Amino acid sequence: MLETIHILNFLLPLLYAATFAVYLTDFYKDKPALHNIKRIFLFVTLLIHTIYLVLWTIHFDHPPITTKFEIFSVLAFSIGFSYFLIELSTDIRATGTFILAISIIFQALSTVFIEDVINVPEVLKNRLLGLHVISALCGYTGVTISAVYALLFTVQYKRIKLNQFGLVFNRLPSLELLERLAVSSVMVGFALLTIAILIGTIWLPSAFPDFSYLDPKLLATGLVWLFYGAGLIVRLTSGLYGKKFMTYSIAGFIIAMISLGITGIIGSTFHQFSK
Amino acid sequence: MNLIGTSINHHTATIEQREALHLSKNEMTEFIGILRNNLLSDGFVISTCNRTEIFGLPVDNNLDISKIQDALLSYKHVDGLSNNNFLNFFSCGAVKHLFSVTSGIDSLILGDSQIHGQMKDAFQLSVDMNFAGTIMRRIFDTATRVGKRSITETEIGEGAVSVSYAAIQVVEKIFANLQNRSAIVIGAGETGELAALHLKDKGIGNLAISNRTLSRAEELARKVYGEIVPFENLHELLHNFDIVISATSSPGVILNYDEVKTIVKKRRGNPVCLMDLALPRDIDPAVAKLDGVFYNDIDTLGKIIDMNIRKREKEIPAVEAIILEEMQNLFSWYNTLEVIPTIKKIRDFFEEIRQEEIDKIKHKVHEEDIKKLDDMTKRLVGRLLHNPTIRLRQIAESGLNYQEVANYTSVISNLFNPEQVDEEINNN
Repeated sequence: MLETIHILNFLLPLLYAATFAVYLTDFYKDKPALHNIKRIFLFVTLLIHTIYLVLWTIHFDHPPITTKFEIFSVLAFSIGFSYFLIELSTDIRATGTFILAISIIFQALSTVFIEDVINVPEVLKNRLLGLHVISALCGYTGVTISAVYALLFTVQYKRIKLNQFGLVFNRLPSLELLERLAVSSVMVGFALLTIAILIGTIWLPSAFPDFSYLDPKLLATGLVWLFYGAGLIVRLTSGLYGKKFMTYSIAGFIIAMISLGITGIIGSTFHQFSK
Repeated sequence: MNLIGTSINHHTATIEQREALHLSKNEMTEFIGILRNNLLSDGFVISTCNRTEIFGLPVDNNLDISKIQDALLSYKHVDGLSNNNFLNFFSCGAVKHLFSVTSGIDSLILGDSQIHGQMKDAFQLSVDMNFAGTIMRRIFDTATRVGKRSITETEIGEGAVSVSYAAIQVVEKIFANLQNRSAIVIGAGETGELAALHLKDKGIGNLAISNRTLSRAEELARKVYGEIVPFENLHELLHNFDIVISATSSPGVILNYDEVKTIVKKRRGNPVCLMDLALPRDIDPAVAKLDGVFYNDIDTLGKIIDMNIRKREKEIPAVEAIILEEMQNLFSWYNTLEVIPTIKKIRDFFEEIRQEEIDKIKHKVHEEDIKKLDDMTKRLVGRLLHNPTIRLRQIAESGLNYQEVANYTSVISNLFNPEQVDEEINNN
């Protein structure tokens, strides 16, 4: 089984890259024949990724959420799967190229750096940890997708303002639709981050003896949560619409990535599951 | 096929000349009367603002096509035009040109689909006047199919090629669903009307018309089921609209930077789309700098039109492939017309012999046996002639070698030569 896991691990970035290539070709060519082919590519990639994650969980007796690079693979899957659902429910097919690029990055990092972790501390096999990590992952998936749509909104906004009616103008959906997708994603992401933080607040103090509310990772996550929360409140109360909210969403994503990066570098946190 | 066609269009004449030659429906009726006198046995006349074309089957195969042109010029009493302003088409060329016209690749606006309706009306007139026989009907049916296939199987008609439609294309990239949006069209002239009609076609939620002359606003509002905004109240109410399309003939700006800034403030961040289709412009172009304001004028919308025209140009080979395919089908059918008389003649000849032989023994055998013999000989003749008939049709339908069809027809006629055999029988 381990050999199969290793082969799938190697195949996954290639599959994501192939899917990305089909999406990119369709973005440029807009051929009806490619419309369904690219969806099939994505479906097959996600199916193989699911098999990989299941095999991993069975073989190592824990879900792949105990190290940074295990989580990256789940994150790649989560982003791809969320996009698949968006495409199915909205029939907006021209934005996959941009979302799947993120999946490729996460999966490629995971494939290169992931290690076979057989023994994990008992505390990491707790169900609450699973819920905590999965909700946090889905939350970050939401804000990532929101940032991509916000970026596409900004690009389309500029195209229209500068009267550049080329390929990007034609292929990207309307500003209203991009804004709606960005806002929905950030709302889902924010809700799931809230759940992750709540579970963490309840479970972490009992699970880790060296728990501290001043832990850099907790502070970083709290900062990200506050940033998005404030943005959503301002949007609902004072009308933070259009380009301003999109810029805010992109800024939120950058803050999230920087804060996660810095806390990862600092490393002095109880919140680091694998050494 | 002896189809001929003559055309005066945007390639050969100025707009004034084309207008001068334009035939109304009544004039077309009269002119068809002239054509059928001694020029064409079947045909039809199409006349639009961009072209006047006459297609038909000549009464005399040696007809000089310039006589048709002279008939038209003298009917319309147009000066400054001569036979040199006409393009002439014969047989395959005439069919190809007709199909190019119906597909829109010969239109002034590439891919223009208005021509379909105009062609249909023109041909209906010919049918009504008994001026369209089997061949013309078949040609027209095929031409109609070419037009339909060009639209459905290619992108020759895709994208906006008018400023008013290009404006709507931009609007659709800002707002996802026009049903939830409100729009106002300022100016009830031709451009304003087109824009209002496009918005209505796109299902705009709320449409208003404003015009200096109230009666014209009322007229357009009735057409598009819109409401009227009095021109004098325009500035106070403009912030209520997501889309503003302005197409007045005002000599100066009717909406300046500060007024638009006020509108943006009142809309509290909701975007507003300002489409200025007027020349000179109605809206100060500086408003484009304002956040949340999407402003376009004729120049910027022209970029979309140019882009779409280029896209349509790329579709010409695909349309030409459809034309070629339909021409092959048409000529296959037409070639079978040449062999059908021969097939019929041979079948009649065999039937006659069979019948004669049956008659000879009619009184020598029992009535029941005659019936059996009759059935058997019919089957026999049918089977004997089945393969030659099918083969001859196939050769004709392939339409690839007209000479081959003629050779086969000639060989069969000579070998059997029913008329000669009949004569010999009679002489003996």
